[in-house]
Amino acid sequence: MDLSLNERQLQLKSAAREFVAKEYPHEKLAELNRSDTGLERDTWRRAADVGLLGALIDPNLQGTGNSLTDAAVIFEELGRGPVPGPFFSSAVLSTLIIDECATPEQRSALLPTLASGQEIATLAMTEPGYGWDPESVQVRGKRVSDGYLLNGTKLFVHDVLAATKFICVVRTNGVKKGKGGLSVLVVDANASGLHRRTLPGFMNQVGELRFEGVRVPEEALLGNITDSWNQLQTAFQKAMPILSAFKVGGCEAIFQLSVEYSRSRIAFGVPIGRFQRVQDHIIEIVNRLDAARWTTYEALWKLDSGRPAAISSHLSKIVASEGYYEGCNYAHEAHGGIGTSYEYPLVAHTRMSRTLLHQLGEPQYHRQQLATYMAAQDYA
Amino acid sequence: MDFEIQETPEAREFRKDVRAWLATNIPKDFPRHADPSDYSYDDFLKTRDLGRKLGELGWLWPTAPKKYGGGGLSIELGIALEEELDQLDLSLPPYYDPGCRYGAPVLMVWGTEEQKTRLLPPMFKGEVAGWQLFTEPTSGSDLYSLKTTAVRDGNHYVLNGQKAFVGTAYDVDFFIILVRTDPKAERYKNLGWFQMPANLPGISRSPMRLLWTDGTGGASNIVTFENVRVPASCLIGGENNGFEVSKSWAELEHGIAGTIRRNRLITRLFAYVKQAQRGGVHLIDDPQVRSVLTDIFITSEVNRLLGLRNYWMSRTQQPVTYQGPQASYIRKMSGLETAKNILKILGPYALTSDPLWDLSDGHVEADQRHSICALHPGATEDIQRVIMARRIGIGRVEIEKPGKLTSLVTPVG
Repeated sequence: MDLSLNERQLQLKSAAREFVAKEYPHEKLAELNRSDTGLERDTWRRAADVGLLGALIDPNLQGTGNSLTDAAVIFEELGRGPVPGPFFSSAVLSTLIIDECATPEQRSALLPTLASGQEIATLAMTEPGYGWDPESVQVRGKRVSDGYLLNGTKLFVHDVLAATKFICVVRTNGVKKGKGGLSVLVVDANASGLHRRTLPGFMNQVGELRFEGVRVPEEALLGNITDSWNQLQTAFQKAMPILSAFKVGGCEAIFQLSVEYSRSRIAFGVPIGRFQRVQDHIIEIVNRLDAARWTTYEALWKLDSGRPAAISSHLSKIVASEGYYEGCNYAHEAHGGIGTSYEYPLVAHTRMSRTLLHQLGEPQYHRQQLATYMAAQDYA
Repeated sequence: MDFEIQETPEAREFRKDVRAWLATNIPKDFPRHADPSDYSYDDFLKTRDLGRKLGELGWLWPTAPKKYGGGGLSIELGIALEEELDQLDLSLPPYYDPGCRYGAPVLMVWGTEEQKTRLLPPMFKGEVAGWQLFTEPTSGSDLYSLKTTAVRDGNHYVLNGQKAFVGTAYDVDFFIILVRTDPKAERYKNLGWFQMPANLPGISRSPMRLLWTDGTGGASNIVTFENVRVPASCLIGGENNGFEVSKSWAELEHGIAGTIRRNRLITRLFAYVKQAQRGGVHLIDDPQVRSVLTDIFITSEVNRLLGLRNYWMSRTQQPVTYQGPQASYIRKMSGLETAKNILKILGPYALTSDPLWDLSDGHVEADQRHSICALHPGATEDIQRVIMARRIGIGRVEIEKPGKLTSLVTPVG
């Protein structure tokens, strides 16, 4: 047993921390978090230069070939920002989907462009009939002579304006139920008939993608197979704890912010952290932080060491998503009014905790998945 | 990272010896009860007898130093031993013995060489077992306001006062007691820590009937001291140093040692819901039951992982701050929450230990009571949060230091 980070991971951690400190001063973070893309092209190029965008890509394909735990260590640092932009969408989720679903030729064509930052990919799966189960995917990719014809709407697509490629989950066999015929098509953001926008509200860079007679060639189909559901789920299971690690970083940041504030803010003649009610809020944050951290890293360890990891992966997603969300609420209770100012670093986390709460499935969806696995497994 | 303790080839071999020994030395009808207060006196004697046999082999406190009568085994062998006992629903020691579990590591820090050489061997060999006497009828969360006094008289201290919530119904050999040794000194500098025989003249016990002592053999105690003459050699850690000594104990009792024990209640609950039916449907197949079970599972996983983290931190001498009281706080609160969730699933079945109608050998019903009682020992959930705040430095820059510990005596926590 060894719960410490290894040499390489410690190096990745400090390099990522340095990158965030240099590229994302507080004022810039505040601004970028609310921008349409969360992205500046120069920063994105430098992220590619330090190997961040190819963290999970094979060195033969211009990546840095890290383990999932290695990548999570980096994403924990990004989460402390919280650094917005399509880092997770492109460098983790899309990368893993391509890795699981694509043919070797497609991988060789696509992954180096993601590693270099030339292309930015994101997943387009959920729809107005929101859900992460097969039945919730209804957009049709109709087989036509030279490829596929897409019509319909994808909703709550992350990094919708930053992406240059959409990894679209669609139905290609005309059947409306079940996993069969669920396929993955890669669609260029500038395809004719594709319309996109971000949604206003309490989320960042999440939007709508409309297909109005979008035509894609046959090669757009990832992996030459029309039933990609299982491969998608494998990719999701690997991606989830890395997303959780981002939230662990977020929890850590709001915990430190709250402890510092509890020392410096004076009320009734003493630092507010002397009041047990204020202490309780901060203790609830650290409890959520540690629960998120250890469920997340155990899931990563299981995945990296080839152990069955489905239960742990869903568990980490529930605990980290809810922990970040609730942790922000407790941080607001500890901070009072100042915590709601856009000038103060807390709000960016609060918005991020909402933005990411449902990414890859809302907590209730993961509870259902967990229950199914638990019922099947012999706990007695 | 590696979340698993790897079994060594040596441990695999050792496991075989242990299994063979347990097969001959533990009869099928060896007493095991869901409720500690269900043990009869005869049951109790059998558990103590097993403790002595294990102690002779160095298997009662397997990882305690050999020099002082412990097993001197590696952690891996100690774990193999505990796991084999766990298969038989037993653990080390097979009876209530905080005097050794927490008292021995405290002695290792604060005892003189003479005290360690004299006191530790009978503890590690299972010849003696001990209780803690800290809480008083009027001093609980505000422990250091305690009133029991110890006045020096030649080579003795004379003790007067009362301690509450002490031990169980049967025999005990020694007490670990915190008393006021200097009535004039300021708070925290006025206390003494004694490890003393439990049978001295002037000591009397009266039973306390508590929510966890429902069984026929059940009671905790009020212990009264009337001019009890305690040899001065029983004082541990020096004059008026009891507060510092007590911090080492508290560190352990709050859970810094962590644990890698499995949660038997969860295992039993999953077996229960797969077996029990309502309206012809197995409970596990009811969506609402599944939803509640998921919450129970998530909570138990968080507890397991924090126990594992503390286990790793304490065994590898990582610097600790708030982690002990955090594990304690979460364990206490989630214990209550889980009991509520079990009640949601099982309804009134969770409230009976009747052998005909209960499917858990009384464990579920006992948990409904014990989860409440578990809120208080080793400082309440509120006090745990107070300590966490001081250790984190909420509202203060100077951070409270944890109690001093040099070694642990349990392989699995």
